[in-house]
Amino acid sequence: MFAITREPLDPMPLVESVRRDECGAVVLFYGVVRNENRGRSVRYLEYDAYEPMALKKLRAVADEVRAKFPVTGVGVLHRIGRLEVGETSLLVAVSAGHRREAFEACHYAVDRIKETVPIWKKEVWEDGSEWIEGHVPEVPGAG
Amino acid sequence: MPQVHVRLFAGLHDLVGKRDLVLDLPAGATIGLLRERLGEEYPVVQPFLATLVCAVDEEYVPSGHLLRDGDDVALIPPISGGAA
Repeated sequence: MFAITREPLDPMPLVESVRRDECGAVVLFYGVVRNENRGRSVRYLEYDAYEPMALKKLRAVADEVRAKFPVTGVGVLHRIGRLEVGETSLLVAVSAGHRREAFEACHYAVDRIKETVPIWKKEVWEDGSEWIEGHVPEVPGAG
Repeated sequence: MPQVHVRLFAGLHDLVGKRDLVLDLPAGATIGLLRERLGEEYPVVQPFLATLVCAVDEEYVPSGHLLRDGDDVALIPPISGGAA
Protein backbone atom coordinates (compact mmCIF):
# COMPACT_ATOMS: atom_id res chain seq x y z
CA MET A 1 0.00 0.00 0.00
CA PHE A 2 1.39 3.39 -1.06
CA ALA A 3 -0.34 6.78 -0.91
CA ILE A 4 0.13 10.55 -0.77
CA THR A 5 -2.99 11.92 0.91
CA ARG A 6 -4.43 14.99 2.62
CA GLU A 7 -6.42 12.81 5.02
CA PRO A 8 -5.24 11.70 8.50
CA LEU A 9 -3.18 8.49 8.27
CA ASP A 10 -4.61 5.21 9.55
CA PRO A 11 -1.86 2.72 10.50
CA MET A 12 -3.88 -0.50 10.77
CA PRO A 13 -4.78 -1.03 7.08
CA LEU A 14 -1.11 -0.36 6.23
CA VAL A 15 0.10 -2.97 8.75
CA GLU A 16 -2.43 -5.49 7.41
CA SER A 17 -1.26 -4.80 3.82
CA VAL A 18 2.35 -5.79 4.63
CA ARG A 19 1.68 -8.64 7.07
CA ARG A 20 2.11 -12.18 5.70
CA ASP A 21 1.71 -15.53 7.42
CA GLU A 22 5.43 -16.23 6.94
CA CYS A 23 6.55 -13.03 8.67
CA GLY A 24 7.37 -12.93 12.37
CA ALA A 25 7.92 -9.18 12.61
CA VAL A 26 6.22 -6.00 11.45
CA VAL A 27 7.94 -2.68 12.16
CA LEU A 28 5.76 0.42 11.90
CA PHE A 29 7.43 3.85 11.86
CA TYR A 30 5.47 7.03 12.65
CA GLY A 31 6.87 10.42 11.62
CA VAL A 32 5.13 12.95 13.88
CA VAL A 33 4.94 16.76 13.84
CA ARG A 34 7.14 18.13 16.64
CA ASN A 35 6.41 21.39 18.45
CA GLU A 36 9.88 22.87 17.93
CA ASN A 37 12.75 22.84 15.45
CA ARG A 38 16.20 24.41 15.80
CA GLY A 39 15.06 26.29 18.90
CA ARG A 40 11.92 27.77 17.35
CA SER A 41 8.44 26.93 18.46
CA VAL A 42 6.45 25.38 15.57
CA ARG A 43 2.72 26.16 15.30
CA TYR A 44 2.00 23.78 12.43
CA LEU A 45 3.52 22.35 9.23
CA GLU A 46 2.39 22.65 5.64
CA TYR A 47 3.51 19.91 3.23
CA ASP A 48 3.60 20.32 -0.56
CA ALA A 49 4.30 17.48 -3.01
CA TYR A 50 4.70 16.70 -6.67
CA GLU A 51 2.12 14.02 -6.09
CA PRO A 52 2.43 11.60 -9.04
CA MET A 53 6.24 11.66 -8.88
CA ALA A 54 6.25 11.35 -5.08
CA LEU A 55 4.08 8.26 -5.32
CA LYS A 56 6.36 6.80 -7.99
CA LYS A 57 9.43 7.50 -5.81
CA LEU A 58 7.81 5.90 -2.74
CA ARG A 59 7.35 2.74 -4.80
CA ALA A 60 10.97 2.98 -6.00
CA VAL A 61 12.18 3.19 -2.38
CA ALA A 62 10.16 0.05 -1.60
CA ASP A 63 11.78 -1.73 -4.60
CA GLU A 64 15.21 -0.73 -3.29
CA VAL A 65 14.33 -2.04 0.17
CA ARG A 66 13.13 -5.37 -1.25
CA ALA A 67 16.34 -5.72 -3.29
CA LYS A 68 18.55 -4.98 -0.27
CA PHE A 69 16.83 -6.77 2.63
CA PRO A 70 14.99 -10.09 2.95
CA VAL A 71 11.63 -8.48 3.68
CA THR A 72 8.17 -9.79 2.87
CA GLY A 73 6.26 -6.53 2.58
CA VAL A 74 6.78 -2.73 2.47
CA GLY A 75 4.15 0.01 2.56
CA VAL A 76 4.32 3.82 2.89
CA LEU A 77 1.73 6.55 3.48
CA HIS A 78 2.71 10.25 3.43
CA ARG A 79 0.29 12.97 4.45
CA ILE A 80 0.45 16.45 2.86
CA GLY A 81 -1.33 19.76 3.41
CA ARG A 82 -1.61 21.34 6.87
CA LEU A 83 -0.56 19.19 9.83
CA GLU A 84 -0.86 20.19 13.47
CA VAL A 85 1.65 19.38 16.22
CA GLY A 86 1.29 15.72 17.22
CA GLU A 87 -0.22 14.61 13.91
CA THR A 88 1.39 11.88 11.81
CA SER A 89 3.04 12.92 8.53
CA LEU A 90 4.59 9.58 7.58
CA LEU A 91 3.90 5.89 8.15
CA VAL A 92 6.32 3.22 6.96
CA ALA A 93 5.50 -0.46 7.59
CA VAL A 94 7.91 -3.31 6.86
CA SER A 95 7.37 -7.00 7.48
CA ALA A 96 10.05 -9.70 7.53
CA GLY A 97 10.69 -13.19 8.82
CA HIS A 98 12.59 -11.82 11.79
CA ARG A 99 12.85 -8.54 13.71
CA ARG A 100 16.40 -7.53 12.72
CA GLU A 101 15.69 -7.32 8.98
CA ALA A 102 12.39 -5.57 9.65
CA PHE A 103 14.04 -2.86 11.83
CA GLU A 104 16.98 -2.33 9.44
CA ALA A 105 14.82 -2.21 6.32
CA CYS A 106 12.38 0.24 7.91
CA HIS A 107 15.24 2.51 9.01
CA TYR A 108 16.69 2.42 5.49
CA ALA A 109 13.29 3.17 3.91
CA VAL A 110 12.72 6.23 6.12
CA ASP A 111 16.19 7.60 5.23
CA ARG A 112 15.70 7.04 1.48
CA ILE A 113 12.27 8.70 1.53
CA LYS A 114 13.92 11.87 2.87
CA GLU A 115 16.56 11.71 0.11
CA THR A 116 14.48 10.97 -2.98
CA VAL A 117 10.77 11.77 -2.67
CA PRO A 118 9.69 15.24 -3.94
CA ILE A 119 7.85 16.48 -0.86
CA TRP A 120 8.50 19.79 0.95
CA LYS A 121 7.77 20.98 4.44
CA LYS A 122 7.01 24.55 5.52
CA GLU A 123 7.39 25.36 9.21
CA VAL A 124 4.97 27.97 10.47
CA TRP A 125 6.04 29.80 13.64
CA GLU A 126 4.34 32.52 15.69
CA ASP A 127 6.29 35.19 13.80
CA GLY A 128 6.86 33.81 10.31
CA SER A 129 7.39 30.72 8.21
CA GLU A 130 9.98 29.01 6.05
CA TRP A 131 10.14 26.20 3.48
CA ILE A 132 12.75 23.83 4.85
CA GLU A 133 15.56 22.91 2.45
CA GLY A 134 16.65 19.35 3.13
CA HIS A 135 18.28 17.04 0.59
CA VAL A 136 19.27 17.77 -2.99
CA PRO A 137 18.11 14.59 -4.78
CA GLU A 138 20.72 12.56 -6.64
CA VAL A 139 20.48 12.93 -10.41
CA PRO A 140 21.37 9.85 -12.47
CA GLY A 141 24.18 10.52 -14.95
CA ALA A 142 25.18 13.84 -13.37
CA GLY A 143 28.58 12.47 -12.33
CA MET B 1 10.93 25.06 -31.19
CA PRO B 2 10.14 23.20 -27.99
CA GLN B 3 7.46 24.58 -25.74
CA VAL B 4 7.67 23.07 -22.25
CA HIS B 5 5.35 23.00 -19.29
CA VAL B 6 7.08 23.93 -16.01
CA ARG B 7 5.75 23.01 -12.56
CA LEU B 8 6.63 24.95 -9.40
CA PHE B 9 6.40 23.76 -5.82
CA ALA B 10 6.98 24.90 -2.24
CA GLY B 11 9.07 28.10 -1.97
CA LEU B 12 9.22 28.58 -5.75
CA HIS B 13 5.44 28.39 -5.97
CA ASP B 14 5.16 31.07 -3.25
CA LEU B 15 7.77 33.36 -4.84
CA VAL B 16 6.58 33.18 -8.44
CA GLY B 17 2.93 33.05 -7.40
CA LYS B 18 2.09 30.39 -10.00
CA ARG B 19 1.91 26.62 -9.97
CA ASP B 20 2.66 26.31 -13.72
CA LEU B 21 4.54 28.19 -16.42
CA VAL B 22 4.94 27.68 -20.14
CA LEU B 23 8.36 28.41 -21.66
CA ASP B 24 9.28 28.63 -25.34
CA LEU B 25 12.83 27.46 -25.90
CA PRO B 26 15.05 27.27 -28.97
CA ALA B 27 15.56 23.96 -30.77
CA GLY B 28 18.18 21.82 -29.06
CA ALA B 29 17.49 23.39 -25.65
CA THR B 30 18.66 21.49 -22.59
CA ILE B 31 17.69 21.61 -18.94
CA GLY B 32 20.76 23.84 -18.46
CA LEU B 33 19.34 26.41 -20.89
CA LEU B 34 15.91 26.22 -19.28
CA ARG B 35 17.52 27.02 -15.93
CA GLU B 36 19.33 30.06 -17.40
CA ARG B 37 16.13 31.25 -19.06
CA LEU B 38 14.17 30.88 -15.84
CA GLY B 39 16.72 32.94 -13.95
CA GLU B 40 16.44 35.72 -16.57
CA GLU B 41 12.66 35.77 -16.80
CA TYR B 42 12.02 35.25 -13.09
CA PRO B 43 14.89 36.85 -11.13
CA VAL B 44 13.31 35.64 -7.85
CA VAL B 45 14.23 32.12 -8.96
CA GLN B 46 17.94 33.01 -9.34
CA PRO B 47 19.00 32.25 -5.73
CA PHE B 48 17.38 28.80 -5.99
CA LEU B 49 19.23 27.71 -9.11
CA ALA B 50 22.38 26.46 -7.36
CA THR B 51 20.49 23.73 -5.49
CA LEU B 52 17.62 23.23 -7.92
CA VAL B 53 17.17 19.84 -9.57
CA CYS B 54 14.81 19.25 -12.49
CA ALA B 55 12.59 16.29 -13.26
CA VAL B 56 11.19 15.45 -16.70
CA ASP B 57 8.27 13.05 -16.90
CA GLU B 58 8.68 12.33 -13.17
CA GLU B 59 12.39 11.38 -13.28
CA TYR B 60 15.36 13.47 -12.11
CA VAL B 61 17.50 14.55 -15.10
CA PRO B 62 20.95 16.16 -15.47
CA SER B 63 21.61 19.64 -16.97
CA GLY B 64 22.55 18.16 -20.34
CA HIS B 65 19.15 16.50 -20.80
CA LEU B 66 17.64 17.52 -24.15
CA LEU B 67 14.12 18.96 -24.03
CA ARG B 68 11.39 18.05 -26.49
CA ASP B 69 8.22 19.89 -27.38
CA GLY B 70 5.51 19.22 -24.80
CA ASP B 71 7.88 18.06 -22.05
CA ASP B 72 6.67 18.33 -18.49
CA VAL B 73 9.48 19.80 -16.35
CA ALA B 74 9.23 19.99 -12.55
CA LEU B 75 11.53 22.33 -10.60
CA ILE B 76 12.61 20.49 -7.46
CA PRO B 77 14.22 22.60 -4.71
CA PRO B 78 15.90 20.59 -1.91
CA ILE B 79 13.32 18.17 -0.56
CA SER B 80 12.19 17.93 3.05
CA GLY B 81 9.49 15.29 3.29
CA GLY B 82 9.46 12.28 5.53
CA ALA B 83 10.36 12.39 9.18
CA ALA B 84 12.54 14.45 11.50
